[in-house]
Amino acid sequence: MVKVYENSFSYDYSFPAVALAYFLRYPNPYATHVISTDVIDRRFDAETQRLYTTRLHLKKSKLPPAVLKLLPKSILGNANDDSSQSYILETSIVDVKEGWMETESRNLEWTGILSVVERQMYRRPLGIIEVGSRDTSSGTASLIEHAKDTGTDVTASVTLLSRLGQGRFLKQRSKVIEEASSSSRVEEEEEQPKRGLFKSWSTASIQGSIELIGMRRTREALAKSKEGMNVVLDRLRQGGLVAVLEGMRRDREAAFQEGGLLRNALSKGRADSDEESPTVSFDPFDNE
Amino acid sequence: MSASLAPECNEVKERYDSCFLKWYSEKFLRGNASTDECEPLFKEYRSCLSRALKDKGIENMLEEARQDMKENDTHHLRRS
Repeated sequence: MVKVYENSFSYDYSFPAVALAYFLRYPNPYATHVISTDVIDRRFDAETQRLYTTRLHLKKSKLPPAVLKLLPKSILGNANDDSSQSYILETSIVDVKEGWMETESRNLEWTGILSVVERQMYRRPLGIIEVGSRDTSSGTASLIEHAKDTGTDVTASVTLLSRLGQGRFLKQRSKVIEEASSSSRVEEEEEQPKRGLFKSWSTASIQGSIELIGMRRTREALAKSKEGMNVVLDRLRQGGLVAVLEGMRRDREAAFQEGGLLRNALSKGRADSDEESPTVSFDPFDNE
Repeated sequence: MSASLAPECNEVKERYDSCFLKWYSEKFLRGNASTDECEPLFKEYRSCLSRALKDKGIENMLEEARQDMKENDTHHLRRS
């Protein structure tokens, strides 16, 4: 089963401003749980004026209690120890000539339980003349000036897929990939009833529940992500790059402090902590 | 600036990030870029980072993700 969530909205800022804020969006007050961000690949194609980037984010995260309840111990193993952090892979292409940016983010762990792939397309609205080529001034101010007359349109789609019960996905992934290339997913789904109606029904319903929980979180996450971008964009407008970097530094300090407080609280009254810091969540894309 | 997952790479990452932001905002986004001027710094940062990725076993995870991407892309294409 696959669930897809789609949404469209706009930023009241020019495309270059949004494309700049995108690489500067962590940390922000809505994303204090982002521990690190690294660029693992970057390529500039001078001919097409496109920039290809792959980044790896590390976030504090945890499977939500609602999902934990649905999962048998045998699948989780020592998950409670390992699940406090998770890696997110983000790829993006910025085409400055044509005025669009395409991004994709996905979780790298727990993909058997729930794989979340978020794609966003950012576009300079049609009819707006190219900003780039005639602009020779320096500083960020002129990038922002265009905000008055243009915005940036965004379409987002999030694909959620739980493969729970297809246990081989948890441990024998490489084998699965080989199998998947020879047989389509549809066939895999149809295989299930043979294993007994009840078993397949319950697996399907657990998958469905997990996808629904993911869906709810996705909606919240997209809203938060937009708020975060707007904070960064506002800082950019108020005081350029300097203001963004200064804000980032403050957010980072705040996150460290919060982490410290949380650790203290846990070490004092720690039994088995079901408590979550307000910024900790399972969904890897709270801020995308 | 955001931190690196490998603390030992923070210093070189910071130098690279500063270079990139300047190039990206002053040249690329204005359509005035002809080469990636920060490539030497990126190579330095990348070599520090790749050691950390290997040590933490992240390289393997990235490889799995690439395989998974192909699979999911099939889905995506079918939908659209």
